[in-house]
Amino acid sequence: MAVMAVAFLLAAWALGLVVANRKPGVLLLAGGAVLEALLIGFLIGGIAQMIASHREFARAEFVIYLLACVAIPPAAVVWGWGERSRAGTAVLAVGFLIMPVMVIRVQQVWAGPGG
Amino acid sequence: MAEASGGAPARSTGRGFGRVLVAVYGLFALAATARSTVQIATKFHEAPLAYLLSAFAAVVYVVATVSLARGDAASRRVATVAISIELVGVITVGAASELASNAFPDATVWTGFGSGYGFVPLVLPFVGLWWLRHTR
Repeated sequence: MAVMAVAFLLAAWALGLVVANRKPGVLLLAGGAVLEALLIGFLIGGIAQMIASHREFARAEFVIYLLACVAIPPAAVVWGWGERSRAGTAVLAVGFLIMPVMVIRVQQVWAGPGG
Repeated sequence: MAEASGGAPARSTGRGFGRVLVAVYGLFALAATARSTVQIATKFHEAPLAYLLSAFAAVVYVVATVSLARGDAASRRVATVAISIELVGVITVGAASELASNAFPDATVWTGFGSGYGFVPLVLPFVGLWWLRHTR
């Protein structure tokens, strides 16, 4: 799905910058903003789907995971941007790299205990 | 990791490689806090011991994250204590969950030595303590 593809792309980009020892530019931030917009859509869509569904699954967990998805990229950008260094860029990479894992967890919770 | 001793002042635990370490600790603080909040709010009666351990782990991760990020002398002591507790916790809970799995009907961050999180919870305290020594 789009969130995972964009997150992988941004993570690869940030890792590339780490390897090349170059500072991230505004373009990477713009990419992060696109990812964040997708994640907010993911959150709203997820909650709407949840309300429409009558299935039993861990609803509280589902919402918390969605909220965490939305919270992680801005936190990673604030913390990573705070030190304009290779390590700061690596923080961005970690922040982006974790997103596909989070999305998979959201889908697992949505699928329920059997999934 | 080599850049850790580069331009940044060597004493601060939140700079250089420490920046990444704090980010990873922050992720676990978030994961453990979210997990224990849901567990305690929705199904505390099912496995009170496991869920209290989850909450305890969450507090340890939050304290470790904040103190590593601050990096002053007092924070370093707090971080050392928190990460030592984390190390004991992950090994104790990991071993207990293997030996007496019926005592742990639901998972915590430390169950199975953190196997649910790619064993990162087992590696993290070693890295944290190494980093505190390295930046001393």
